Amino acid sequence: MRTQIKNLLRHALQGLMLTTAVVSTSVIAQESVLVGAPLPLTGPLSPEGTKLQRGYDLWVEEVNKAGGIAVGNKKLPVKIIYYDYQSNTPKAVQLAEKLVIDDKVNFLFSPFGSGATKAASAVSEKYGVPTLAPTASSVEVYDRGYKNLFGTFTPNDSLTEPLADLVKSGAPEVKRVAILSRNDLYPLALGQDFEKSAKKRGIEVVYFDKYPIGALDHASAITQIRSSKPDWIVVTGYINDLILIRKQLGDQKVRPVVLTMINGPVYQEFIDATGPLSNNVTTATWWHPAARYTSQDLFKSSENYTKLFKAKYKDDPDFTNATGSAVGVLLQLAIERAGSLDRDKVRASLAAGNFKTFFGPLSFSPEGYANSYIPPIIQVQNGRSAVLYPKAIKSGDFRLGLD
Amino acid sequence: MLSLQILINGILLGGLYSCIAVGFSLVWGVLNIINILHGSMIVLGAYAAFFAYSQLGIHPFAFIPIAGLSLFILGYGLQAKIINRVMGAPVLITLTLTFGLNLILDNMMMVAFKADYRKIILDPPLGLLELGSLLIPIDRLYAMVLALGLVGCLYAILRATQIGRAIVAVRMDRDAAALMGVKVKQIYAVTFATGAFMAGAAGCLMSVIFPISPLTSNAFLGKAFVVCVLGGLGSMPGVILGGILLGLLESFGTLWLGPDFSTTIAFVVLLTLLMFRPTGLLGKRGFE
Repeated sequence: MRTQIKNLLRHALQGLMLTTAVVSTSVIAQESVLVGAPLPLTGPLSPEGTKLQRGYDLWVEEVNKAGGIAVGNKKLPVKIIYYDYQSNTPKAVQLAEKLVIDDKVNFLFSPFGSGATKAASAVSEKYGVPTLAPTASSVEVYDRGYKNLFGTFTPNDSLTEPLADLVKSGAPEVKRVAILSRNDLYPLALGQDFEKSAKKRGIEVVYFDKYPIGALDHASAITQIRSSKPDWIVVTGYINDLILIRKQLGDQKVRPVVLTMINGPVYQEFIDATGPLSNNVTTATWWHPAARYTSQDLFKSSENYTKLFKAKYKDDPDFTNATGSAVGVLLQLAIERAGSLDRDKVRASLAAGNFKTFFGPLSFSPEGYANSYIPPIIQVQNGRSAVLYPKAIKSGDFRLGLD
Repeated sequence: MLSLQILINGILLGGLYSCIAVGFSLVWGVLNIINILHGSMIVLGAYAAFFAYSQLGIHPFAFIPIAGLSLFILGYGLQAKIINRVMGAPVLITLTLTFGLNLILDNMMMVAFKADYRKIILDPPLGLLELGSLLIPIDRLYAMVLALGLVGCLYAILRATQIGRAIVAVRMDRDAAALMGVKVKQIYAVTFATGAFMAGAAGCLMSVIFPISPLTSNAFLGKAFVVCVLGGLGSMPGVILGGILLGLLESFGTLWLGPDFSTTIAFVVLLTLLMFRPTGLLGKRGFE
């Protein structure tokens, strides 16, 4: 009898301690907003991973300077927990799950790129964690009917349609297009959208093929393109592919009326590495320092964002930096509107859209991708980026032909 | 005409691959070390050439001996102080060691130079050689010439100099060579250093042809590996043959099946060759 009472008391005490521990842990978690961000900080995608991190860090610095995010009637500082997934997508998925289960983050920022974003979105959906995707533009990323994913990039056809329009109206002699895509989720999806946009306007697609990831040579593909005599060439891939392809196009004297490469030419790195070959290359991007949006977020405007970024990093921001900061301000605005960190409330707030950010006005389709702004078309002219479209921020005229 | 241009593309690409592979083949063939550092050493040579050109105006071709010598010293030090400690151990031990050293070198370069891609843009540019409608980029032609030059020099050194004979002797029978008075550890260091010299020289040319970053080292290593297996170890002409064969396979693979399958075709041929002739096209037995 005495032993039984002793056991009962012991269990009751253990239960009480456990409850206190659980309660106190959950109280502690509310003292800051925890965001999980798996990034490729090493490996082939590390340049892009570092760019995103710069964008995140600028936002965190600015928001904590102002006391934090307003959650109801108090302000909570933000803390981003980073893990390096070494440019390996399966690892990104594992780390996303670790962030949710072990680190108990409130929200997630997706890993880099359409492929990894799609893979990790399964984790977000499983645990019901609202996740913001800074770098996923392919609609294929959003085709699983998930409710927790919200992306700042408009879909790929928002790049291809305006470009095809520009070519059709500004270069009417263009009748034949050749498309070369990297065999990767986003570049290939983009290439396929270019094919659709070109065909819609009666431009014949005389070549469309894909090159493997890690290709060190494109000479023979370019020889085939040359023999198909295109007026317009579209190349998709990441920056190292595009630098090499631009050089090899020059090596074979391939000089179409219009050359479009996405996304490399928006980076100064591309212009530096290709030199005079960069002239008149067209590209498109989701954001450019020339943008002139005013916003309700802590940056107040695109111009002010560019100013703050330059002051911190001594460099102009590119669209990858900007989208990193954009998911930060988007999350902040959504939490402030919801008045709480409750995931359901924040998710509903995000889905309602209508956010005025320095990155552009952000509203989302039912699938979760942004559908509320026009990405600018850029052309490299004498070593500088000129905005060709939209008219509101145009800074140069469309030039035809290559050197 | 299309096929002829593709043929030329393939041969030039092969020259490039041979240039990348020659140092790797020497080290593997003579020392039985799979030098995972090789790609990074090429990248280091490329960075050295890049900064020499952009900061000091030294032409990358003129810089070849300097880059080569710097890497020679680095390679000598690495072999003499570190890798020599595991010579004679199973090949996986040396592979693990060079793998670890590669990680260190790669990440040091990433910290020092960041991962941004850089490329030398020569002013005036080297341009093209035009033979009718056939186009030959001169920088790739130089890569071919350099590869042939490096292999030729090595061939001559191994046959005509004292140190070359000593290297061959150590390769044939280490113990017998030691009994003949050859300082084996020193020969190891000289051989590894020579491989590093070649990597540095190749790197100077790569900085003109490719965008360079610490991230490209694995791509170079991968090609060097395939070239050596195709051409066969223990044979310097095998490097040239292996390189050209790989270049042709990838170029014609692109023509027949599209760019996406060009590397697949190369690997299918590689696997088939390994089944019927594991020593490669010109390889000699003893370094499998």
